[in-house]
Order: sequence, then C-alpha cells, then structure tokens
Amino acid sequence: MPSEGTRILVIDDEKQIRRMLKTALTGYGYDIAEAPSGQEGLNQTAIFHPDLIILDLGLPDLDGIEVIKRLREWAQTPIIVLSVREDEEDKIRALDAGADDYVTKPFSMGELLARLRVALRHMAKSEDEPVLVFGKLTVDMARRLVFLDGEEVKLTPTEYEILKYLALQAGRVVTHGQLLRAIWGPNYQEQTHYLRVYVGQLRRKIEADPSQPAIIVTESGVGYRLVDRA
Amino acid sequence: MKTAQSDNTETNKGTKKRFASMRKSFVPYVKTFLTVVLITLLGEILTPYFDLINIAILYLLPVLISAVRWGRGPSFFAAGLGVLVFDFFFVPPVLSLTVHDVRHVFIFGMFLLVAIVTGTMATKLRNELDKTKEREQRTLALYALSQKIAAESDLKRVLKTFVERVAGTIRGDVIMLVHNPDAEMLLEVAAYPSHNTLSDDKERAVAHWVLEHGQRAGRGTETLSAAQSLFFPVKAEDKTLAVLAIKTEPDGKALASEQLQLIEAFSNLAAVAIIRVNLAQEAEQAKWLAESQKLHTALLNSISHDLRTPLAAITGAVTSLLSKETAYDAGTEKALLDAINEGAQRLNRFVGNLLDMVRLESGILKLNTQWCDIEDIVGVALREMKDILQPHSLQVKIPSGLPLVKADFALIEHVVINLIENAVKYSPEEGMISISARTVNDTVYVTVADGGPTIPRYERERVFDKFYRLHSTKHTSGTGLGLSICKGIIEAHGGKIWVDSPHEPGNRFVFSLPVPEQPGPLPDTKEEVFHAL
Repeated sequence: MPSEGTRILVIDDEKQIRRMLKTALTGYGYDIAEAPSGQEGLNQTAIFHPDLIILDLGLPDLDGIEVIKRLREWAQTPIIVLSVREDEEDKIRALDAGADDYVTKPFSMGELLARLRVALRHMAKSEDEPVLVFGKLTVDMARRLVFLDGEEVKLTPTEYEILKYLALQAGRVVTHGQLLRAIWGPNYQEQTHYLRVYVGQLRRKIEADPSQPAIIVTESGVGYRLVDRA
Repeated sequence: MKTAQSDNTETNKGTKKRFASMRKSFVPYVKTFLTVVLITLLGEILTPYFDLINIAILYLLPVLISAVRWGRGPSFFAAGLGVLVFDFFFVPPVLSLTVHDVRHVFIFGMFLLVAIVTGTMATKLRNELDKTKEREQRTLALYALSQKIAAESDLKRVLKTFVERVAGTIRGDVIMLVHNPDAEMLLEVAAYPSHNTLSDDKERAVAHWVLEHGQRAGRGTETLSAAQSLFFPVKAEDKTLAVLAIKTEPDGKALASEQLQLIEAFSNLAAVAIIRVNLAQEAEQAKWLAESQKLHTALLNSISHDLRTPLAAITGAVTSLLSKETAYDAGTEKALLDAINEGAQRLNRFVGNLLDMVRLESGILKLNTQWCDIEDIVGVALREMKDILQPHSLQVKIPSGLPLVKADFALIEHVVINLIENAVKYSPEEGMISISARTVNDTVYVTVADGGPTIPRYERERVFDKFYRLHSTKHTSGTGLGLSICKGIIEAHGGKIWVDSPHEPGNRFVFSLPVPEQPGPLPDTKEEVFHAL
C-alpha cells in the first residue's frame, strides 16, 4: 500500500470523530496520532512530525485559523481542514491562511482519502511534468495545447491560463481569490464574475454536459476544483 | 413688577367680564322698555276708537313677549312699567299718576294679576324649552362621541376625540391619564390643547388618589381642593381605568352640575372604549400565543419525525449488520449500507434546512451576494443530489449565455436542492424530472418540474407555508419546511416562487430572480497584456 507508514495527525476535540478517523485511516495503512485541542496539536506536530494534518476548525482553545497560521510559521506540512457547510467564509480564510484543502462535515471517507492523496502527492512532487493527463483531457504545457479525446481544443489565452492553473493544482480546491490573483493580478481578486464567465466558456469547450460538469467542478461559495481521476 | 402688572390685567379682565355680563342682563330691560314705549304710541293712536280697558289689554303684550324671550324679571318689569305708563297716559286725569275712579284701580289690580300669571307661566315654558334643547344637544354630543369611539380602534385617537369633546363642553384644558396596570403608572395619553401636561407632582399625586379611590377630587370638591384641576375618575364597574384632569380659569365659576353630568356621561363612553381596546389587545395576544403554540407543536412533531425516520433506517441497517445470527450476501450487505448512507444524507439535509429556517426566522440570514451563473448553481445542486436522483430520469435544459445574477450562491443552491428533493419525493419511481431556465426581460426563471400528482389549485399558495403538508400526502415523510425555506430565500433575493401545473399530472415549481445590469467588460489577463507588448 502506498500509504504505508505515512503519518497523519488528527486535531479534533470530538472524540467520536477522532476514533472514527483513526479506525478508518489505520485500516488504510496510515499511522495516526491524535490531539484534542489546538495547543496539543501544535505540540504533537513538533514531536510526531506528521506528513499531513487533519484539522477541525471548531476547537475549544484556539481558533482553527490561528492554528494554521502558527503551523505555517515553521512547517509546510499539508493541512486538510474539517468544516461545516455554513462556513464558506471560514473555509476561504483557512485556505488563504495556508490550508491545502477542506472537506465538509459530514464527509464520505472516499472524499477524505482523495483529498489526502492529492495533498500528499503535491508535497512529494519534485519536478513539473510538461504534460498533464486527466482522463480524456490532456494539457500540454510545453506547447500550450489542450486536447480532448486526442482532438485539439481551441482555447483563448485566458481560458488556457485558468485551465493550466487548475490543472497544476489538480484535485485541490482553488479559491476564487487565488485564481483571480494568479490570472488577472491582485487588483482583481474580488471580481468573481470574470471567473463565472470564463469558467462557463471553458466548460462549454471541454465538458460533455456543461450543466453537469465532470472536469471543473464548483465548490459552492469557495472556488473551483479540477477533478483528478488519477 | 411683572406679577403686579399681570395681576392688574387679570383684574381688568375680571371687571370687563363683569361689566359685559351686566350689560348682557340690561339689554332685556331696555328692550322691554322700548316695547312699552311702542305700545304707548299705538295706544295714543287707538284711543279715539278703543275703550280704556282695551288699551289696558294692549299692555299685556310686552309682558308676554318679555316673559317668553327673557324670563321672569323683564316680564315683571314690563307689568309694573305698563301699569304706570297706562295710568299716566290714559287713565283720567291724563298725564298724572292720580286716579279718580276707583274702578280703574280694579283694572290695575286685574292687569297686574294677569301679567304676573302669564309671565310666570311663559317663563316656565321657556325654561322647559331650554332644558329640552340642552338635553337634546347633550344627547347629540354623546351620540357623536360614541359613534367616533366605535369607529376608532386606536385608543390614542379615541381618547383624543374624547378630551376634545370634554374641553369643548367646559371650555377649559383637559388631560387624560390612563392607568397602565403592568407598570402601575398613570400615563398622560391625551390632552387638549395637545401639548398640555400636569403642572407638577402634587397634581399627579391627586390624580393617583382619584385612581385609588375612584372619587372626584381637586378644585371645587371637598377632597384635596387646593389642587389646580378637578380630577374625575373614569370608571367601568368598580375599576377606575383612567383619570380626567380638568383645568378651568382660576377665578372662573365651578362647573355646573349639568356640565359635570355631561362629563360623567362622556367618561362612561371613554371607559367603554378603553375596555374595548384592551379586550381587543388581549384577544390579539391570545391569538398570537395560540398561533405560536401551534407552530411549536408542528415544529416538534416535524423534527421528531424527520430526525427519527432516517435514524430508524440507519439503526435498523446497522444492527442487522452487527448481529451475528445471519450472514448476509454481498448484495444485501450493500443494500443495507446504502440505506445507512441515504439516511445519513437525509439527516444532513434536514439539519441544513432547520438551520436555514432558524436563520431566516431570526433575521440573521446574511446574503453573501456575488455574481452567480444559474447553470453553475444547478450543476452543483445536481452533483449534491446525484444519489437520490438515480432512479429518475433527468432532463436539464439551460440555454448558454444566460445572464449572471447577483445572489448568494449557497442559498440559491439550497433552493434548487430542496426543489429537486421535493420533486423526487412526490414523483413516481422512474418519473421524469426536468430542470430548465430562461430569461424574459430582466428576470431569470428557473423551473423544476415533476410528474407527481398535481397539487390542487386551492393548495398552491399554501404549500409554501411553514409545516404545511398537502392533505393527500400526509403519509409521505417530510417537514413542510423545504418549500417555506425556498420562499424565504427567494424573497430575500427580491424574487418570487410559485407552483403551477401546465400538464396533468405534474407540477412545475418556478422561481424568479431579478437580473441586474451585467458587469463591465473583462480586462485582459496579465498574460494577454504581456503578449500584446
């Protein structure tokens, strides 16, 4: 199993969730440590040296966002946040503070495992590959070309930039702000309508059914995610 | 200095007033005198043709006139003056008060007697007439007030009318203080003139005394007569509901008993009005309480039902899997696990709806409005509902190039999810569910149509009410929350939601959202700018 020996720290004050995660993730071969509070989580990170942290945003002692900020002062360990549906703003703040991704409670184990794998892979990735393949979709960054089922898809430069950015983060959520900053620059990070228009156009070119997208999915209130089938 | 001056003017005013009233009482006598003069002239003209006794009868005329018009005093004056003038001008020796014939003295006597009797009777008649007139006016005033009171539901306005009427009757200032039993306080609710208030705490203390004892007090009474105003209890049965403060001129006369009677009659009407308004308020409150009680019961029923149903499914499936008695084959095990998963998802949606409802109800719902693409919202909702849509066939028709709307993405997503859940719940197995969108003028319409039994016309409005369940579908699980939340969210966005049925069977749930002016043109990306250089 590829996850053999990978160390994961679970920071959550709910014992039930910790127990469930420990049981399930141990079953997949991960090595689990638990912390019931933010402070304890910070200490454990220093002792346990986890490869990844699962962090609940609602902690009794420290604000989850605060934990992320303190961790990021000295560690680049990938962080996956557990959040509830109503807290889109918290999710964005956590991602901006340096979290890698999030899952919304209640989450399926399949979803969490997918996020874990993506985050770990991004951490391990050493060099950029010039050609990225996602099922039928191929993005050739060396030649700035996109293929769908082997046929070239004509994209405008902006559409291409958006697709490339999402593809490089494949499997991970990209917030509106991150995408706008990357494509148009920091002055445009509030202009979400640019994204609505361009992502809509992009979907019409690469999705089989643009009303039910399967490649670029919307994370409501947060951003977009390019589905990584690998 | 100032005080002296004002005192002076006060006295002046008093003198003037007294003088005026004196002049007023003089006028009838002067008029009577003139009538007598007129009769004398007439008598002089008629002397050649009339007997002396006929002339004497002529003098009864001023007596009668003054008795009817001005009362007893002027009529007696007319009688006395008549005798003297008659004696002086007509009885021989003429132009002298001496009488030669004793028979003439008899005429005087008879004349005076007739004059006095006629005058007295005419005066009585006049008084009766005056009283009747006054009574009629009082009745009219009472009637007018009662009409006004009956037409007004607002207590303040009723009492305003009331104080105006009282003030009109007594020609003074009036303040109405209503007892508030909750705060044990007297509130100055209405006054005439409208800015008028009680002058000090002493006055207020008298008002409280009246409230407590239910008796008149203050100026012109035997209790606390040092007060500036007369305080009048407004009573219904034994309870004093309010106090009326009446302020008249400091040196004016005390109120006449008829005025007091009229005020009392007015007060009774005011009491009725106060009681009526209080009762209406209590009834309103009782209705509100009953309503909220009903709502709570419905909420509890719905919550316990909608939490327990999926919980029961989950518990049943889990305990089956845990029990060691039977070994399930792989297919059954999968079915049980699916049931657990489905139950859990349903619980999650229900909790989401409850939260939405609480946020909508408490007004803490904050719209996080952004430019949204309807197609995108529908896509996310469909992804969310993928599992429960499985057995149904789905048709999605969203034209490209739909304008963007300004909306809270997540909330509109909940609306679409609720509508889909609703469609799935009431559609026959494998029925067609179709979702479409279109723009007409400056409005975008999103439609979720199902093939379920058509909602009767009379229930179409009510399905959006909280906890409302169709009579025909009472057995289907559901809270009646989903649609009411949809309505709340859509209305918060300035849109509308309704249901109709162009084809039977089937229902078409439609919501509309306003399309604002579209955002400005898009700038080039950094990359494009770079290429252009």
